[in-house]
Amino acid sequence: MSSIDHHLNLFPPLIQVGHAEQFIQSGKTLLSAQSPLNQSYAVFPSARKDASSIKASGVEEQPIFFASSETSPSAERRLFIGDTSIIFAALQNLTNTAQSRGQEWLHSQETHNVIRKLTLDYVNFTRECWIHTSQTSVQSQGSSQFSGDHYRSLYTCLALFAVLYVPEYGYEDAPVGDDLMEWLNVHFIEPSTEEGDYLSGLDRPWEDETFWPYLVRVTLRGLSKAATFFLATLSIHPSDNLRRLAQRLSPLVQSQPHLQSFEAERDFAYASHRWKDKVKALRIELDSVSESDRHDGIENWWDRLSDIVGILEGRNEVIRRVCEDLGADWREISVSWGVFADARLRRQDLPEVASQVLDDMPQDPTNLEDMVHAALFSGDPAKALSHAAQLDPWLAAHMADLMQALSLIEKDANEDSGLSIRDFYVLGYAQYLHADPALWRITVAYMFSCGETGVRSADEVLMHVPLKLRSVGSILHGQGEQNGADNLKSGDLAGVVKDINATCYEYQREEVRRTICRIAAQTFVQEKEYGLALSYSSSAEDWPGLGRVVDRVLQEYINAGPAQFIRYVAGIAPSLQALRMQSGAQGIFVHRLMFAVRYAEFHQRLGNQDLQDAAWDLVSMFQDGLSPKSWWAVLLCDSQQLLQHDATLLFPYAGACVLLQHLEEVIARTDQGSGDEHLRVLIAKLGSGGTTEALHALQGVRLSLAKYFARCTMIGTGGKQILERKFIAAM
Amino acid sequence: MIQTGLIQSAHNDLLTDVAYDFYGLRLATCSLDQRIKVWQVDESNGNWNVEDDWKASMLEDAWAHPEFGTILASASFDRTVKIWEQTSFASTTDSQTNGAGAGSPQAASCGSSRWVERAVLVDARGTVRAVEFAPHHFGLKLATVSSDNRVRIYKCLEQSSLATWQLSEEVDVSTLPSASLSSSYSVAFATPTQTSATLEGASATLVAQALQQSQNPATQGRPGMGNREADGGWCISWCKDRYWGEIIAAGCGVSGAIKIIQLSPSRRPITLLTLDPSPSPVGLPTEAGTLLASDGDTPTPFAITSVAWAPSCGRSYHLIATGGRDGHVRIWRVKPAEDEADVEGEGGDPKWSANVVADFDHHKSAVGRVEWNITGTVLSSAGNDGRVRLWKATIGNVWRTAGSIGVEQSEDTQDADVNMGENAIAE
Repeated sequence: MSSIDHHLNLFPPLIQVGHAEQFIQSGKTLLSAQSPLNQSYAVFPSARKDASSIKASGVEEQPIFFASSETSPSAERRLFIGDTSIIFAALQNLTNTAQSRGQEWLHSQETHNVIRKLTLDYVNFTRECWIHTSQTSVQSQGSSQFSGDHYRSLYTCLALFAVLYVPEYGYEDAPVGDDLMEWLNVHFIEPSTEEGDYLSGLDRPWEDETFWPYLVRVTLRGLSKAATFFLATLSIHPSDNLRRLAQRLSPLVQSQPHLQSFEAERDFAYASHRWKDKVKALRIELDSVSESDRHDGIENWWDRLSDIVGILEGRNEVIRRVCEDLGADWREISVSWGVFADARLRRQDLPEVASQVLDDMPQDPTNLEDMVHAALFSGDPAKALSHAAQLDPWLAAHMADLMQALSLIEKDANEDSGLSIRDFYVLGYAQYLHADPALWRITVAYMFSCGETGVRSADEVLMHVPLKLRSVGSILHGQGEQNGADNLKSGDLAGVVKDINATCYEYQREEVRRTICRIAAQTFVQEKEYGLALSYSSSAEDWPGLGRVVDRVLQEYINAGPAQFIRYVAGIAPSLQALRMQSGAQGIFVHRLMFAVRYAEFHQRLGNQDLQDAAWDLVSMFQDGLSPKSWWAVLLCDSQQLLQHDATLLFPYAGACVLLQHLEEVIARTDQGSGDEHLRVLIAKLGSGGTTEALHALQGVRLSLAKYFARCTMIGTGGKQILERKFIAAM
Repeated sequence: MIQTGLIQSAHNDLLTDVAYDFYGLRLATCSLDQRIKVWQVDESNGNWNVEDDWKASMLEDAWAHPEFGTILASASFDRTVKIWEQTSFASTTDSQTNGAGAGSPQAASCGSSRWVERAVLVDARGTVRAVEFAPHHFGLKLATVSSDNRVRIYKCLEQSSLATWQLSEEVDVSTLPSASLSSSYSVAFATPTQTSATLEGASATLVAQALQQSQNPATQGRPGMGNREADGGWCISWCKDRYWGEIIAAGCGVSGAIKIIQLSPSRRPITLLTLDPSPSPVGLPTEAGTLLASDGDTPTPFAITSVAWAPSCGRSYHLIATGGRDGHVRIWRVKPAEDEADVEGEGGDPKWSANVVADFDHHKSAVGRVEWNITGTVLSSAGNDGRVRLWKATIGNVWRTAGSIGVEQSEDTQDADVNMGENAIAE
């Protein structure tokens, strides 16, 4: 699991064993780039920048390798991650409530019970997962990423954590021995059932060499049923003494008092005391057996029986020796201590016992599970977390989360890193999750629970979630996604963008949401989905961006002509209405949008031969000041064909004057050197000709205007008044 | 650590750079084979496919934030920086009449999309060694550093066409003085010690440069681009945080130091802080002395080849990583000036401060690149030992190695993917 200190050699290798030096000397080096998508790296051989001279080294294949620090979770692991995140969210709710209701509430019985329940949920979940993976991995070898054994170790760690640190409310101070023994018996089954089955099939089981070790072990583990069963088999043993003693021992084993059978601990203590007295009586009886009758020809049964009685007496040296003989570890000794030697052993006293045992019989440093157990036994939750993190970041994160809720670990942030212990491990887990981009929702949920650093980290992750807006049409997708894409096209938020938007709202990350909307808008501009681009821009309240979208649409007129332009404007026109309603919308950019819409209307009318209205449109765009200066020249050129219309005079005299006035201004300004501002768009529209051609075109307009005025005077002898009357009549 | 993919033959000659786009779904690669390629990952199987491929001689490339479009900037040996934009439709006849001023744009067409050259920035008087777009909240801006020791900041004046880029700042990193010297009105705020230190710092750098140049002919076996170009390091990295304004970390030449430069529209750029790992950062004259003393044998000035400013992600401090020719990867913890100091301090400008929180020499040879992940929690470094190394902070905020990647043949080549550990012994 842990990737710490691991070295990976990529395939195919570029350097032969031990020849790194040559590689470098040939002017090459290795460079890498980190992927923002997940915890992966692109690694590639590159030219050394400090090489004598950088020049082509001849044709050869140059690879790029990709490596990841984490394995992307497999399906069942994802399921595990997803399902446990629900428990995490529940605890998160609880601690959030605690913040508003005060710390006292967090320590109340009600809360404690909830935390205990959630802890047990984790325990049960890891158990389920262990069973599931063990079964499936038998069926299909190697399909599961983590072996069943991995989940078993998570299960044992969490279960131990629950026993030691999350007891039932009010039982914090109760003896812990029985609970620990139960944990040991559930997770580390000894002796095996097969052994028992085998022995029970024998007529004279004591003659088998495994008999006594088996009997001793079941006694040590408090497995009274198995113990009494095999003690009963001794009833046909040739030795009178053994028969008698076994018969006496059996009820004693069976009647060892257990805490859960008592109402009060005082009663339990009293019963234990009386029981111990009976054991002592048996010891006296045992000692009275003569040396000659202590051996049955196969085994020194007396020694073995003495061991059993020694265990029941709680003799430290006996328990220790027996455990060593049986190959039991430090856990078994520590737990037996709490059952036999000191039946009233408290949780807070356990670390001392554990440390004594561990001194003689240390935990296995190569076994992380063992290390976590030892740290938990030793009352060192922080240490347990550091081992747990190596075992599985999942374990460290969730245990740390519980520990913080139970005030087992320091809540304050580390001065250097600014992170609390919990946040450190939860963020570590989130980083592990980030290896799988599909898990971004869960990744950010964990991050958002980790203070300012977590929130800002989540922002980064959210912003880097691929929006998949381009998927439409470009890549084949499943039906479901295709539908999503259709929705997207029709203007609804859908798919990833919708999810990210919702997440941003949930955690109040408006800045991030706006950035994402701006990106979406930009993407749609590239796709020429201007209507969508516009609605995303306004959702981001990005008014300059909105202006750029409109510019792009106007650019379409220049590039592709009126037909395309009208079509694109049809896509953005509906937004205008909405934007006018919106109070925050900045005038200037909406203004530009209005121009685009009006200009498209103008072309529409022109196309429909609705010339009178088109002329009216044109003049009013000037009069209303809608047209940007850079477009004046284009509009003027548009007017030319209307001016030249033979059938009727389309412009009123005043309208023609407006045209003239603007024409004069464009030409005058161009003379003054600001031609770029006024002619830019026209030049673009005309193509390669430049300023000269643009001015030439405007001269043409001027000529048309002059002719138009001439026609006005010819037709309307009465001057402009008559003309205006005619115009009104035409309307 | 596991291998997740491979492009067997990305280019026909050594690559000079590989850059992920904002989402990590595309890669822009450039190579000595004079081509730029853009690759797209097929998310269903993790394979990378060439999306575009066009001719251009490039050293390093960088992607702009996607809110500005699909834009690449590439830096070249030929002293230029080029701005490329992907246009969606191959059929578009938009010849960008208002774009790319100089005639017809160089189009790279391949498949359904094509990249168009939108602008060429020609101000550099040396190889452009690095390009990086500014954090998106500062608008569409680009920083470049070239072997003429200049950091140049360009601002895109017209986002819709990408044609016009204004050179908004040009800073000689080697001589840029500290805050106290930048402009007359702030001189009064400077403490005397700082002033002298900075002055000497600047002159020391000049001495170092002069030395470098004078040694040029003496160094044998380095024809071609010359010693200065080969031994120097030019690198930049923007501060990702918006709060502090536009700040960039830059290193140049063989100074071995990184300057934290603040750019402001209202005044000239100033150095907020110099990250100098030499034993006495203030006592730069000593360094100059060492340089002079070591005239006889090969001097050991070392260049910082790469600098990376970590996304701050809500931390109260910044992390800046550097990699140098001295084989060291360093992580600096940089504390911005406290606002209160500004008010209280008697004439003292609020000061940025920094200390080295990690210093690794595991590469044992020049470090070519350092880079952070998006949350600033994992640092990767690549060195001339042919390894990429990863670094992470422990719970006690101590930085430690977190794995490494190499291209050496494994002793046991049976299963390249899971072969770990054995080779770690070499550590």
